[in-house]
Amino acid sequence: MSDASESSARQLATDARDRVRFEEEALDLSDQVYGVARRLVPSREEAEDLVQETYARAFRSWRSFQPGTNLRAWLFRILTNLNIDRGRKVQRTPDLQPLEESDYFLYNKLEESGADGTPDQRRVVERLSQNDAVTALADLPHDFRDVVLLVDLADFTYSDAAQILDIPIGTVMSRLHRGRRMLKGALATSAADES
Amino acid sequence: MSGFAFDPCDKCEQMMQPYLDRVLTDAEVREAEVHLDGCEYCRKRYRFEVEFRTFVRQAVAEPMPPELKEKLRSLRTPL
Repeated sequence: MSDASESSARQLATDARDRVRFEEEALDLSDQVYGVARRLVPSREEAEDLVQETYARAFRSWRSFQPGTNLRAWLFRILTNLNIDRGRKVQRTPDLQPLEESDYFLYNKLEESGADGTPDQRRVVERLSQNDAVTALADLPHDFRDVVLLVDLADFTYSDAAQILDIPIGTVMSRLHRGRRMLKGALATSAADES
Repeated sequence: MSGFAFDPCDKCEQMMQPYLDRVLTDAEVREAEVHLDGCEYCRKRYRFEVEFRTFVRQAVAEPMPPELKEKLRSLRTPL
């Protein structure tokens, strides 16, 4: 074998090894990707499609991933971009009426509603229902939901979330703040309806 | 609280999300913690917030179907 073909053979082997490692590392993150995808779209089937598209694209474009940078953020960027590309309906900007509820209000509401009859104040959070949480999250306007999912579910920092969604960090913070409050507002309402 | 009087519980409330997100400065963290040490009202609400975050996370979690994992494996580039 000539020197040139030997070095290109070596290059191919290195390439294959890097690619396999990349694919394995990406697959190790698939539970987290699915967890967020499942809450980005309404049904399990759509979530499965979205995750498959995400991995198909990630594997196809593995060369554009810079080794040593954040693979998890890179994958979630593909996921959220694909979700936007899927033509999710353009939403009217949610009416930005001021949320006067404070950060303590959900606790205060739950404590109030449990005051009569329920002597057990120990775990106020147990008055909330799982289904209500799923519905409340699904009902958030998607710009807000994207941020809440990335930060509160997938544990990304504000700055990672900003890069993934390609929005300024200040926007991440304000959407997170609003999104969390909307979520609590919805849960406070459903908890009141059920009590 | 009436008028413009400074209410330390208001301040503590405003610090709750950034405190739990760990984005406060060290000085702000100390300020929040000094207040929390002496204030059961705020302490209860912070504790609830931590439980609430865990609750939401668990409530909306759905494990990935095992068949999907297999499908993803099959998308890998053949060697």
